[in-house]
Amino acid sequence: MKLQHQYLLITTFFISFFCFSKMIWAGVDREPSINVPVNELHASLLNIMKDVSTKSFQERYNVMEEVMVTHFDIPLIAKVILGRYWKTLEKKEQTDFIDSFNRLTISTYVNQFNSYNGELFRTLSIEQMKKNRFVIKTEFVRIDDTPVSFNYIVQNNKGAWKIISVIANGINDLSLKRADYSSVIKKRGFDSLITSLKQKISNIQPK
Amino acid sequence: MTASHILKLVKYLVYSGVLILAAGCATTQNNVSENSHDPLEPANRTVFNALEKLDKQFIKPVAESYVSLTPVPVRTSISNFFDNLSYLNVIFNDFLQGKFEQGMTDMLRFAYNSTFGIAGLFDISTPIGMPANSEDFGQTLATWGVNQGSYLYLLGPSSTRDITDQVPSTLLNPFFYFSSVVMAPISVLNAINTRANLLEKSNIRDEAALDAYSFTREAYLQQREFKVHDGNPPASGYDDIFNDASDIGNTDDNKESGMLVIE
Repeated sequence: MKLQHQYLLITTFFISFFCFSKMIWAGVDREPSINVPVNELHASLLNIMKDVSTKSFQERYNVMEEVMVTHFDIPLIAKVILGRYWKTLEKKEQTDFIDSFNRLTISTYVNQFNSYNGELFRTLSIEQMKKNRFVIKTEFVRIDDTPVSFNYIVQNNKGAWKIISVIANGINDLSLKRADYSSVIKKRGFDSLITSLKQKISNIQPK
Repeated sequence: MTASHILKLVKYLVYSGVLILAAGCATTQNNVSENSHDPLEPANRTVFNALEKLDKQFIKPVAESYVSLTPVPVRTSISNFFDNLSYLNVIFNDFLQGKFEQGMTDMLRFAYNSTFGIAGLFDISTPIGMPANSEDFGQTLATWGVNQGSYLYLLGPSSTRDITDQVPSTLLNPFFYFSSVVMAPISVLNAINTRANLLEKSNIRDEAALDAYSFTREAYLQQREFKVHDGNPPASGYDDIFNDASDIGNTDDNKESGMLVIE
Protein backbone atom coordinates (compact mmCIF):
# COMPACT_ATOMS: atom_id res chain seq x y z
CA MET A 1 0.00 0.00 0.00
CA LYS A 2 1.27 3.50 -0.84
CA LEU A 3 2.49 5.56 2.11
CA GLN A 4 -0.15 8.31 1.81
CA HIS A 5 -2.87 5.66 1.70
CA GLN A 6 -1.53 4.20 4.91
CA TYR A 7 -1.58 7.61 6.58
CA LEU A 8 -5.14 8.14 5.33
CA LEU A 9 -6.17 4.80 6.73
CA ILE A 10 -4.60 5.48 10.11
CA THR A 11 -6.12 8.96 10.34
CA THR A 12 -9.57 7.65 9.39
CA PHE A 13 -9.20 4.95 11.96
CA PHE A 14 -8.36 7.39 14.73
CA ILE A 15 -11.12 9.81 13.81
CA SER A 16 -13.68 6.98 13.75
CA PHE A 17 -12.40 5.64 17.02
CA PHE A 18 -12.65 9.08 18.59
CA CYS A 19 -16.20 9.62 17.35
CA PHE A 20 -17.25 6.12 18.30
CA SER A 21 -15.96 6.44 21.85
CA LYS A 22 -17.63 9.81 22.18
CA MET A 23 -20.87 8.06 21.20
CA ILE A 24 -20.39 5.35 23.79
CA TRP A 25 -19.52 7.77 26.54
CA ALA A 26 -22.39 10.06 25.62
CA GLY A 27 -24.69 7.07 26.14
CA VAL A 28 -23.23 6.13 29.50
CA ASP A 29 -22.90 9.67 30.63
CA ARG A 30 -26.61 10.41 30.32
CA GLU A 31 -26.72 11.87 33.76
CA PRO A 32 -23.37 12.21 35.50
CA SER A 33 -24.80 12.94 38.95
CA ILE A 34 -26.32 9.43 39.08
CA ASN A 35 -22.90 8.01 39.77
CA VAL A 36 -22.09 10.40 42.58
CA PRO A 37 -23.61 8.61 45.62
CA VAL A 38 -22.04 5.25 44.82
CA ASN A 39 -18.67 6.72 43.84
CA GLU A 40 -18.55 8.82 46.99
CA LEU A 41 -19.51 5.83 49.12
CA HIS A 42 -16.78 3.68 47.57
CA ALA A 43 -14.16 6.40 47.89
CA SER A 44 -15.00 6.89 51.56
CA LEU A 45 -14.99 3.16 52.28
CA LEU A 46 -11.53 2.82 50.74
CA ASN A 47 -10.39 5.81 52.79
CA ILE A 48 -11.52 4.40 56.10
CA MET A 49 -9.96 1.05 55.18
CA LYS A 50 -6.61 2.70 54.52
CA ASP A 51 -6.81 4.95 57.59
CA VAL A 52 -7.46 2.26 60.18
CA SER A 53 -4.16 2.75 61.97
CA THR A 54 -3.96 6.51 61.60
CA LYS A 55 -7.52 7.56 62.41
CA SER A 56 -9.62 6.76 65.46
CA PHE A 57 -12.97 4.98 65.29
CA GLN A 58 -14.73 8.30 65.86
CA GLU A 59 -12.86 10.00 63.04
CA ARG A 60 -13.69 7.22 60.61
CA TYR A 61 -17.27 7.23 61.90
CA ASN A 62 -17.51 10.93 61.06
CA VAL A 63 -16.32 10.25 57.50
CA MET A 64 -19.02 7.62 56.97
CA GLU A 65 -21.68 9.70 58.70
CA GLU A 66 -21.09 12.47 56.19
CA VAL A 67 -21.52 9.99 53.32
CA MET A 68 -24.65 8.38 54.76
CA VAL A 69 -26.44 11.64 55.46
CA THR A 70 -25.60 13.14 52.08
CA HIS A 71 -25.93 10.19 49.74
CA PHE A 72 -28.48 7.81 51.32
CA ASP A 73 -32.17 8.61 51.56
CA ILE A 74 -32.31 7.72 55.24
CA PRO A 75 -35.90 8.78 55.98
CA LEU A 76 -37.18 6.64 53.11
CA ILE A 77 -35.05 3.67 54.12
CA ALA A 78 -36.28 3.90 57.70
CA LYS A 79 -39.92 4.00 56.58
CA VAL A 80 -39.53 1.01 54.27
CA ILE A 81 -37.78 -1.04 56.95
CA LEU A 82 -40.54 -0.52 59.48
CA GLY A 83 -43.21 -1.01 56.83
CA ARG A 84 -46.69 -0.82 58.25
CA TYR A 85 -45.39 -0.07 61.78
CA TRP A 86 -44.11 3.32 60.67
CA LYS A 87 -47.54 4.93 60.66
CA THR A 88 -48.31 3.60 64.15
CA LEU A 89 -45.41 5.51 65.68
CA GLU A 90 -45.33 8.97 67.26
CA LYS A 91 -43.06 11.59 65.72
CA LYS A 92 -40.55 11.24 68.54
CA GLU A 93 -40.44 7.45 68.14
CA GLN A 94 -39.84 7.83 64.41
CA THR A 95 -36.99 10.23 65.06
CA ASP A 96 -35.52 7.92 67.70
CA PHE A 97 -35.63 5.02 65.29
CA ILE A 98 -33.98 6.95 62.46
CA ASP A 99 -31.25 8.14 64.79
CA SER A 100 -30.49 4.71 66.28
CA PHE A 101 -30.75 2.93 62.94
CA ASN A 102 -28.41 5.44 61.35
CA ARG A 103 -25.83 5.10 64.10
CA LEU A 104 -25.91 1.30 63.92
CA THR A 105 -25.53 1.26 60.14
CA ILE A 106 -22.60 3.68 60.18
CA SER A 107 -20.89 1.83 63.05
CA THR A 108 -21.27 -1.46 61.19
CA TYR A 109 -19.66 -0.04 58.05
CA VAL A 110 -16.75 1.36 60.04
CA ASN A 111 -16.29 -1.92 61.85
CA GLN A 112 -16.50 -4.16 58.80
CA PHE A 113 -14.29 -2.15 56.45
CA ASN A 114 -11.33 -2.16 58.76
CA SER A 115 -8.30 -3.27 56.79
CA TYR A 116 -6.76 -2.52 53.44
CA ASN A 117 -5.03 -5.04 51.22
CA GLY A 118 -5.20 -3.63 47.72
CA GLU A 119 -8.95 -3.88 47.33
CA LEU A 120 -10.88 -1.76 44.86
CA PHE A 121 -14.41 -1.15 43.63
CA ARG A 122 -15.36 -1.57 40.02
CA THR A 123 -18.62 -0.27 38.48
CA LEU A 124 -20.05 -2.80 36.06
CA SER A 125 -23.28 -1.38 34.68
CA ILE A 126 -26.19 0.98 35.19
CA GLU A 127 -29.72 -0.23 34.39
CA GLN A 128 -32.93 1.71 34.46
CA MET A 129 -35.73 0.18 36.52
CA LYS A 130 -38.28 2.97 36.39
CA LYS A 131 -38.35 6.56 35.23
CA ASN A 132 -36.82 7.68 38.48
CA ARG A 133 -34.96 4.62 39.66
CA PHE A 134 -31.76 2.93 38.54
CA VAL A 135 -29.72 -0.02 39.71
CA ILE A 136 -25.94 0.40 39.68
CA LYS A 137 -24.03 -2.87 39.65
CA THR A 138 -20.53 -2.87 41.06
CA GLU A 139 -18.11 -5.34 42.50
CA PHE A 140 -15.63 -5.24 45.34
CA VAL A 141 -12.44 -6.81 44.06
CA ARG A 142 -10.17 -8.50 46.59
CA ILE A 143 -6.72 -9.98 46.05
CA ASP A 144 -6.68 -13.80 46.34
CA ASP A 145 -10.39 -13.95 47.03
CA THR A 146 -13.64 -13.99 45.09
CA PRO A 147 -15.15 -10.57 44.32
CA VAL A 148 -18.24 -9.44 46.22
CA SER A 149 -21.09 -8.09 44.16
CA PHE A 150 -22.51 -4.81 45.47
CA ASN A 151 -25.59 -3.50 43.71
CA TYR A 152 -27.23 -0.21 44.60
CA ILE A 153 -30.66 1.15 43.89
CA VAL A 154 -30.58 4.92 43.44
CA GLN A 155 -33.58 7.18 43.25
CA ASN A 156 -33.91 10.85 42.49
CA ASN A 157 -35.33 12.70 45.46
CA LYS A 158 -36.09 16.34 44.70
CA GLY A 159 -33.17 16.76 42.33
CA ALA A 160 -30.52 14.69 44.12
CA TRP A 161 -29.78 11.06 43.38
CA LYS A 162 -29.61 9.00 46.56
CA ILE A 163 -29.02 5.39 47.44
CA ILE A 164 -32.13 3.66 48.73
CA SER A 165 -30.94 0.06 48.88
CA VAL A 166 -27.74 -1.99 48.96
CA ILE A 167 -27.66 -5.57 47.71
CA ALA A 168 -24.51 -7.50 48.66
CA ASN A 169 -24.04 -10.84 46.86
CA GLY A 170 -27.74 -11.01 46.16
CA ILE A 171 -28.77 -10.23 49.72
CA ASN A 172 -30.87 -7.10 50.01
CA ASP A 173 -29.89 -5.19 53.13
CA LEU A 174 -33.30 -3.56 53.39
CA SER A 175 -35.23 -6.84 53.27
CA LEU A 176 -32.88 -8.34 55.80
CA LYS A 177 -33.37 -5.52 58.27
CA ARG A 178 -37.10 -5.40 57.69
CA ALA A 179 -37.52 -9.09 58.49
CA ASP A 180 -35.22 -8.75 61.48
CA TYR A 181 -36.78 -5.62 63.00
CA SER A 182 -40.42 -6.53 62.34
CA SER A 183 -39.81 -9.81 64.13
CA VAL A 184 -38.57 -7.91 67.18
CA ILE A 185 -41.48 -5.45 67.13
CA LYS A 186 -44.00 -8.26 66.79
CA LYS A 187 -42.57 -10.27 69.68
CA ARG A 188 -41.37 -7.59 72.08
CA GLY A 189 -42.70 -4.24 70.94
CA PHE A 190 -41.19 -1.07 69.53
CA ASP A 191 -39.41 0.10 72.68
CA SER A 192 -37.56 -3.16 72.82
CA LEU A 193 -36.41 -2.59 69.24
CA ILE A 194 -34.86 0.76 70.16
CA THR A 195 -33.20 -0.74 73.23
CA SER A 196 -31.75 -3.60 71.16
CA LEU A 197 -30.46 -1.17 68.53
CA LYS A 198 -28.72 0.89 71.20
CA GLN A 199 -27.26 -2.26 72.72
CA LYS A 200 -25.82 -3.28 69.36
CA ILE A 201 -24.34 0.17 68.84
CA SER A 202 -22.57 0.11 72.17
CA ASN A 203 -21.25 -3.39 71.42
CA ILE A 204 -19.56 -2.15 68.27
CA GLN A 205 -18.18 1.14 69.44
CA PRO A 206 -14.85 0.92 71.20
CA LYS A 207 -15.01 1.70 74.91
CA MET B 1 -22.46 -51.45 49.55
CA THR B 2 -22.73 -52.82 53.03
CA ALA B 3 -25.95 -53.22 54.97
CA SER B 4 -25.27 -50.05 56.92
CA HIS B 5 -24.98 -48.11 53.68
CA ILE B 6 -28.26 -49.45 52.40
CA LEU B 7 -29.81 -48.52 55.68
CA LYS B 8 -28.43 -44.99 55.42
CA LEU B 9 -29.70 -44.72 51.87
CA VAL B 10 -33.19 -45.85 52.84
CA LYS B 11 -33.17 -43.40 55.72
CA TYR B 12 -32.28 -40.53 53.41
CA LEU B 13 -34.89 -41.51 50.83
CA VAL B 14 -37.65 -41.77 53.41
CA TYR B 15 -36.54 -38.54 54.99
CA SER B 16 -36.62 -36.56 51.79
CA GLY B 17 -39.84 -38.24 50.69
CA VAL B 18 -41.51 -37.15 53.91
CA LEU B 19 -40.18 -33.65 53.52
CA ILE B 20 -41.41 -33.26 49.97
CA LEU B 21 -44.84 -34.39 51.14
CA ALA B 22 -44.63 -32.00 54.06
CA ALA B 23 -43.77 -29.18 51.69
CA GLY B 24 -46.89 -29.94 49.73
CA CYS B 25 -49.03 -30.01 52.87
CA ALA B 26 -47.40 -27.05 54.57
CA THR B 27 -48.22 -24.67 51.79
CA THR B 28 -51.91 -25.48 51.85
CA GLN B 29 -52.69 -25.44 55.58
CA ASN B 30 -53.30 -22.28 57.59
CA ASN B 31 -50.02 -20.65 58.42
CA VAL B 32 -49.12 -20.60 62.07
CA SER B 33 -46.77 -17.70 61.48
CA GLU B 34 -47.86 -14.68 59.46
CA ASN B 35 -44.79 -14.99 57.30
CA SER B 36 -45.63 -16.79 54.10
CA HIS B 37 -42.16 -18.33 53.78
CA ASP B 38 -42.14 -19.84 57.22
CA PRO B 39 -45.18 -21.85 58.33
CA LEU B 40 -42.85 -24.09 60.32
CA GLU B 41 -41.50 -21.19 62.34
CA PRO B 42 -42.17 -22.47 65.88
CA ALA B 43 -40.44 -25.79 65.21
CA ASN B 44 -37.66 -24.06 63.28
CA ARG B 45 -37.02 -21.62 66.10
CA THR B 46 -36.74 -24.42 68.61
CA VAL B 47 -34.11 -26.20 66.55
CA PHE B 48 -32.37 -22.91 65.79
CA ASN B 49 -32.10 -21.91 69.44
CA ALA B 50 -30.81 -25.34 70.45
CA LEU B 51 -28.17 -25.39 67.72
CA GLU B 52 -27.11 -21.80 68.40
CA LYS B 53 -26.51 -22.70 72.02
CA LEU B 54 -24.44 -25.72 71.02
CA ASP B 55 -22.56 -23.60 68.53
CA LYS B 56 -21.77 -20.83 70.95
CA GLN B 57 -20.62 -23.15 73.72
CA PHE B 58 -18.79 -25.75 71.74
CA ILE B 59 -18.60 -25.67 67.95
CA LYS B 60 -17.60 -22.05 67.45
CA PRO B 61 -14.76 -22.10 70.01
CA VAL B 62 -13.41 -25.29 68.43
CA ALA B 63 -13.55 -23.68 64.97
CA GLU B 64 -11.77 -20.58 66.28
CA SER B 65 -9.00 -22.69 67.82
CA TYR B 66 -8.69 -24.56 64.56
CA VAL B 67 -8.27 -21.26 62.72
CA SER B 68 -5.61 -20.01 65.09
CA LEU B 69 -3.67 -23.29 65.03
CA THR B 70 -3.86 -24.08 61.32
CA PRO B 71 -2.00 -21.98 58.74
CA VAL B 72 -4.12 -20.55 55.93
CA PRO B 73 -2.61 -22.65 53.10
CA VAL B 74 -3.37 -25.83 55.06
CA ARG B 75 -6.97 -24.78 55.67
CA THR B 76 -7.31 -23.85 52.00
CA SER B 77 -6.12 -27.31 50.97
CA ILE B 78 -8.53 -28.94 53.38
CA SER B 79 -11.38 -26.84 51.98
CA ASN B 80 -10.31 -27.71 48.45
CA PHE B 81 -10.22 -31.40 49.32
CA PHE B 82 -13.78 -31.49 50.62
CA ASP B 83 -15.08 -29.18 47.90
CA ASN B 84 -13.63 -31.52 45.32
CA LEU B 85 -15.23 -34.59 46.91
CA SER B 86 -18.62 -32.97 46.62
CA TYR B 87 -18.09 -31.81 43.06
CA LEU B 88 -19.66 -34.87 41.42
CA ASN B 89 -22.98 -33.57 42.72
CA VAL B 90 -22.35 -30.24 40.97
CA ILE B 91 -21.67 -32.05 37.69
CA PHE B 92 -24.79 -34.18 38.11
CA ASN B 93 -26.95 -31.12 38.66
CA ASP B 94 -25.32 -29.21 35.80
CA PHE B 95 -26.63 -31.83 33.38
CA LEU B 96 -30.03 -32.06 35.04
CA GLN B 97 -30.41 -28.33 34.51
CA GLY B 98 -29.40 -28.58 30.87
CA LYS B 99 -26.15 -26.74 31.44
CA PHE B 100 -24.18 -29.06 29.19
CA GLU B 101 -21.22 -26.84 28.51
CA GLN B 102 -20.84 -26.09 32.18
CA GLY B 103 -21.16 -29.80 32.92
CA MET B 104 -18.32 -30.62 30.56
CA THR B 105 -16.08 -27.93 32.03
CA ASP B 106 -16.93 -29.10 35.53
CA MET B 107 -16.00 -32.67 34.62
CA LEU B 108 -12.64 -31.39 33.44
CA ARG B 109 -12.26 -29.39 36.59
CA PHE B 110 -12.93 -32.43 38.74
CA ALA B 111 -10.53 -34.56 36.73
CA TYR B 112 -7.71 -31.99 36.80
CA ASN B 113 -8.04 -31.20 40.49
CA SER B 114 -8.28 -34.86 41.44
CA THR B 115 -5.17 -35.83 39.49
CA PHE B 116 -2.79 -32.93 38.99
CA GLY B 117 -4.29 -31.19 42.00
CA ILE B 118 -3.36 -34.23 44.09
CA ALA B 119 -6.67 -35.67 45.27
CA GLY B 120 -8.25 -32.23 45.20
CA LEU B 121 -5.89 -30.63 47.70
CA PHE B 122 -4.86 -28.01 45.19
CA ASP B 123 -7.30 -26.09 43.06
CA ILE B 124 -5.32 -25.80 39.84
CA SER B 125 -8.42 -25.41 37.67
CA THR B 126 -9.53 -21.94 38.72
CA PRO B 127 -6.35 -20.18 37.55
CA ILE B 128 -6.66 -21.86 34.15
CA GLY B 129 -10.19 -20.63 33.55
CA MET B 130 -12.33 -23.32 35.18
CA PRO B 131 -13.61 -21.77 38.40
CA ALA B 132 -15.91 -23.61 40.76
CA ASN B 133 -19.63 -23.60 40.08
CA SER B 134 -22.27 -24.02 42.70
CA GLU B 135 -25.15 -26.27 41.75
CA ASP B 136 -27.29 -28.54 43.87
CA PHE B 137 -30.52 -30.45 43.60
CA GLY B 138 -32.51 -27.63 45.18
CA GLN B 139 -31.42 -25.33 42.38
CA THR B 140 -32.22 -28.05 39.85
CA LEU B 141 -35.76 -28.34 41.20
CA ALA B 142 -36.00 -24.55 41.03
CA THR B 143 -35.13 -24.55 37.34
CA TRP B 144 -37.79 -27.21 36.86
CA GLY B 145 -40.36 -24.84 38.35
CA VAL B 146 -40.54 -26.07 41.95
CA ASN B 147 -40.82 -23.12 44.28
CA GLN B 148 -38.89 -22.66 47.49
CA GLY B 149 -41.38 -24.49 49.71
CA SER B 150 -41.26 -23.83 53.44
CA TYR B 151 -38.22 -22.58 55.27
CA LEU B 152 -36.78 -25.44 57.23
CA TYR B 153 -34.08 -25.22 59.86
CA LEU B 154 -32.47 -28.58 60.61
CA LEU B 155 -28.69 -28.66 60.64
CA GLY B 156 -28.61 -25.14 59.29
CA PRO B 157 -30.89 -23.04 57.14
CA SER B 158 -32.64 -24.91 54.35
CA SER B 159 -36.08 -25.37 52.88
CA THR B 160 -38.36 -28.25 52.11
CA ARG B 161 -37.23 -28.06 48.51
CA ASP B 162 -33.51 -27.57 49.08
CA ILE B 163 -33.13 -30.28 51.70
CA THR B 164 -33.72 -32.86 48.99
CA ASP B 165 -30.16 -32.22 47.89
CA GLN B 166 -29.04 -34.37 50.81
CA VAL B 167 -29.84 -37.48 48.78
CA PRO B 168 -27.77 -36.99 45.62
CA SER B 169 -25.01 -35.14 47.39
CA THR B 170 -24.54 -37.99 49.85
CA LEU B 171 -24.72 -40.73 47.24
CA LEU B 172 -22.31 -38.91 44.93
CA ASN B 173 -19.73 -38.29 47.60
CA PRO B 174 -17.07 -41.00 47.31
CA PHE B 175 -16.48 -40.99 51.06
CA PHE B 176 -19.99 -42.25 51.69
CA TYR B 177 -18.76 -45.64 50.58
CA PHE B 178 -15.93 -45.90 53.08
CA SER B 179 -16.37 -47.53 56.44
CA SER B 180 -17.64 -45.47 59.36
CA VAL B 181 -14.34 -45.89 61.17
CA VAL B 182 -12.59 -43.91 58.45
CA MET B 183 -15.54 -41.59 57.90
CA ALA B 184 -15.98 -40.35 61.46
CA PRO B 185 -12.81 -38.30 61.98
CA ILE B 186 -12.93 -37.04 58.39
CA SER B 187 -16.54 -35.90 58.85
CA VAL B 188 -15.55 -34.09 62.03
CA LEU B 189 -12.73 -32.32 60.22
CA ASN B 190 -15.14 -31.37 57.45
CA ALA B 191 -17.59 -29.96 59.98
CA ILE B 192 -14.96 -27.92 61.83
CA ASN B 193 -13.45 -26.61 58.61
CA THR B 194 -16.88 -25.63 57.28
CA ARG B 195 -17.67 -23.82 60.51
CA ALA B 196 -14.32 -22.03 60.33
CA ASN B 197 -15.11 -20.82 56.82
CA LEU B 198 -18.40 -19.41 58.07
CA LEU B 199 -16.93 -17.50 61.01
CA GLU B 200 -16.76 -14.21 59.14
CA LYS B 201 -20.38 -14.41 58.05
CA SER B 202 -21.62 -15.45 61.47
CA ASN B 203 -19.71 -12.59 63.08
CA ILE B 204 -21.36 -10.09 60.75
CA ARG B 205 -24.72 -11.57 61.65
CA ASP B 206 -24.05 -11.48 65.37
CA GLU B 207 -23.00 -7.86 65.09
CA ALA B 208 -25.91 -6.58 63.00
CA ALA B 209 -28.88 -8.82 63.73
CA LEU B 210 -31.39 -8.16 66.48
CA ASP B 211 -33.21 -11.39 65.81
CA ALA B 212 -30.64 -13.85 64.49
CA TYR B 213 -33.29 -16.34 63.42
CA SER B 214 -35.12 -13.94 61.05
CA PHE B 215 -31.84 -12.54 59.80
CA THR B 216 -30.52 -16.02 58.96
CA ARG B 217 -33.75 -17.03 57.26
CA GLU B 218 -33.98 -13.92 55.14
CA ALA B 219 -30.32 -14.08 54.13
CA TYR B 220 -30.63 -17.77 53.26
CA LEU B 221 -33.76 -17.37 51.11
CA GLN B 222 -32.30 -14.43 49.22
CA GLN B 223 -29.02 -16.17 48.63
CA ARG B 224 -30.85 -19.16 47.18
CA GLU B 225 -32.56 -16.85 44.67
CA PHE B 226 -29.15 -15.45 43.82
CA LYS B 227 -27.73 -18.94 43.25
CA VAL B 228 -30.68 -20.20 41.24
CA HIS B 229 -30.08 -17.30 38.87
CA ASP B 230 -26.33 -17.99 38.94
CA GLY B 231 -25.46 -14.63 40.42
CA ASN B 232 -27.60 -12.59 38.08
CA PRO B 233 -31.10 -12.27 39.43
CA PRO B 234 -33.43 -10.07 37.40
CA ALA B 235 -33.04 -6.50 38.55
CA SER B 236 -36.80 -6.10 38.55
CA GLY B 237 -36.92 -8.11 41.76
CA TYR B 238 -34.83 -5.61 43.69
CA ASP B 239 -37.44 -2.96 44.23
CA ASP B 240 -40.40 -5.18 45.10
CA ILE B 241 -39.83 -4.13 48.69
CA PHE B 242 -40.67 -0.55 47.76
CA ASN B 243 -43.93 -1.62 46.18
CA ASP B 244 -44.76 -3.54 49.33
CA ALA B 245 -44.57 -0.37 51.38
CA SER B 246 -47.54 0.94 49.38
CA ASP B 247 -46.90 4.58 48.60
CA ILE B 248 -44.00 5.13 50.95
CA GLY B 249 -41.30 3.92 48.62
CA ASN B 250 -42.56 5.61 45.50
CA THR B 251 -42.03 9.14 44.31
CA ASP B 252 -44.66 10.61 42.01
CA ASP B 253 -42.82 9.31 38.99
CA ASN B 254 -42.86 5.76 40.22
CA LYS B 255 -46.33 5.40 41.71
CA GLU B 256 -48.01 2.13 40.91
CA SER B 257 -50.77 0.21 42.56
CA GLY B 258 -48.68 -1.39 45.27
CA MET B 259 -49.41 -4.79 46.79
CA LEU B 260 -50.13 -4.62 50.47
CA VAL B 261 -48.08 -7.35 52.12
CA ILE B 262 -49.42 -8.84 55.32
CA GLU B 263 -46.41 -9.33 57.52
